[in-house]
Amino acid sequence: MIELQGLTKRYGETRVVDDISLTVEQGEFCVLIGPSGCGKSTTLKMINRLISHSEGKVLVGGEDITTLPPERLRRRIGYAIQSIGLFPHWRVADNIATVPKLLKWPSSRIAARVEELLALFQLDDEGLHDKYPHQLSGGQAQRVGVARALAADPDVLLMDEPFGAVDPLTRDTLQAELARVHRQTGKTIVFVTHDMDEALRLASRVALLNAGQLVQYDRPAELLVAPANDFVRDFIGRADLGLKLLSRRRVEEYCRPAQRTRNNAIASAPITWQVDANDRPMALLGGRLGEPETARTVVNPEWTATPEMSMKEALSRMVWFRVTALPVLDGEGRLLGEVTMSGVMGHRS
Amino acid sequence: MNVGALSRPRSSRRALLISLSVLLIALVVGMEQLAPLFRALFPDQDPAMYERESFLNLTLAHLALVLVSSLVSVSVGVAAGLFVTRPAGREFEPLVSTLAAIGQTFPPAAVLAIVVPVAGFGFVPTLVALVLYGLLPVVQNTIAGLGTVPSQTLEAARGNGMSAWQILWRIELPLAMRVIIAGVRVSVIINIGTATIGSTVGAKTLGTPIIAGLVGNNLPYVVQGAVLVGLLAIVTDLAFERLEQRFSFGEGGNAE
Repeated sequence: MIELQGLTKRYGETRVVDDISLTVEQGEFCVLIGPSGCGKSTTLKMINRLISHSEGKVLVGGEDITTLPPERLRRRIGYAIQSIGLFPHWRVADNIATVPKLLKWPSSRIAARVEELLALFQLDDEGLHDKYPHQLSGGQAQRVGVARALAADPDVLLMDEPFGAVDPLTRDTLQAELARVHRQTGKTIVFVTHDMDEALRLASRVALLNAGQLVQYDRPAELLVAPANDFVRDFIGRADLGLKLLSRRRVEEYCRPAQRTRNNAIASAPITWQVDANDRPMALLGGRLGEPETARTVVNPEWTATPEMSMKEALSRMVWFRVTALPVLDGEGRLLGEVTMSGVMGHRS
Repeated sequence: MNVGALSRPRSSRRALLISLSVLLIALVVGMEQLAPLFRALFPDQDPAMYERESFLNLTLAHLALVLVSSLVSVSVGVAAGLFVTRPAGREFEPLVSTLAAIGQTFPPAAVLAIVVPVAGFGFVPTLVALVLYGLLPVVQNTIAGLGTVPSQTLEAARGNGMSAWQILWRIELPLAMRVIIAGVRVSVIINIGTATIGSTVGAKTLGTPIIAGLVGNNLPYVVQGAVLVGLLAIVTDLAFERLEQRFSFGEGGNAE
């Protein structure tokens, strides 16, 4: 748990961080976001004392951070920045082992931990262990950076725009991986970004900063449906609000029971799924835009949904393939239920 | 990265270093055996072979002078460079840079003229001149080398809980080492050549036959001294080149 109490940073007369108070609960993924110069990075760096605060207090795990020597504090808090932060003269394994070495772990324990992390980040099957940072791709280097931050198994992880320097495709993969690692490890993460989509995707709570002040600290969906003021509304972007909200929601939240049939007979419901003996959907009866309700459309794997898929993606598929419903499939391709065009509106928030 | 294309010139450089080293040792030990050659080349010159001191002794004395002066230059220069790049010494950076620059703009002959009345003739005044002369490249490159360490790397080191000493020893010095060694290389090469003027104030160096040849209008003496000094400088330079490569961590660096 991290608690900021009236945290302030002054440089001369300028207050770059002005009286910020917020609490990041255990296991929370808190994203600090705001325009350039809003003080989000400074706030992050005050948590591990890379920057000393002028006023206020920071508590990590209930302890005032000024009661510990800065080096001891930092070894207990993971810290990841852009990939250039890797030590260029150390191999991948040595980079990951940075903090355990500082903590003087026995070498067998360090080696085991490095292997564990390489496996967690799916870096183990590429012979990366002995490579130098300049031999890695951007995405690999970034994974090594996050692995290094996690090496000594800290409760808290600070990340300063860690994915700022990678291409959009790689960033997408890295975000998915970070979300997975967060679910698996339950770490408390504080993450700085200026990318709202990244924030909405990863955060369990978003702290929106402007000119050194905390404007709103809320769950991502709340930020979208109940912005505190015009600044928040502007920063999120007035366009695409509905789609942004849907990008936060998953298909399973909208999934409802599907009407099934084993033959071509039209059932009473307007949309009916024809399934095979294994409950796999074969065809959609009705539910096709601009065609009679009796139309039979063969199910195409490109317009199916999974429970983890975002509603934005599901909606996109409905629009693209001109169907008013998608079958929701489990891992074996069996019909779990359906999401429908009209159901998109009917989410109980 | 094409390893084959890179290793080729590197291995030919090694062959060059080895063959020139062998040539140097052979000449140092066997220069006296070349007396008939010099007599044939310079029939009018008598004597055509410098024989007041063995070339082995002259070379060893020359090397000793360069070694001691370089050790002093490097320790003082690196220490000064480190000091002015720490938070405590940052304000002294312009002062130290200027002092080191003055040390090099001072002609070594002038330094000798000033130091001889104080310290007498021979080894010591030459040492002082060489130390001053060799300081600048070391100081400059130490400051420059430490300056090349990316700020994000330093921030990552601090953020991961390294102390100032650990950052210096584990991160800054290894990463700056290639540039620092390049400075040492320049300093040592300069001093191998400059040490010869020590012979004008009585220090025993490979400059002794050169000075004697210039004073006595004896070209073979000059050639014999100059060939050895030149060869010594080239061999040392090639050796440093190999040393520098060990500390390059960028593209194509640590492939070996």
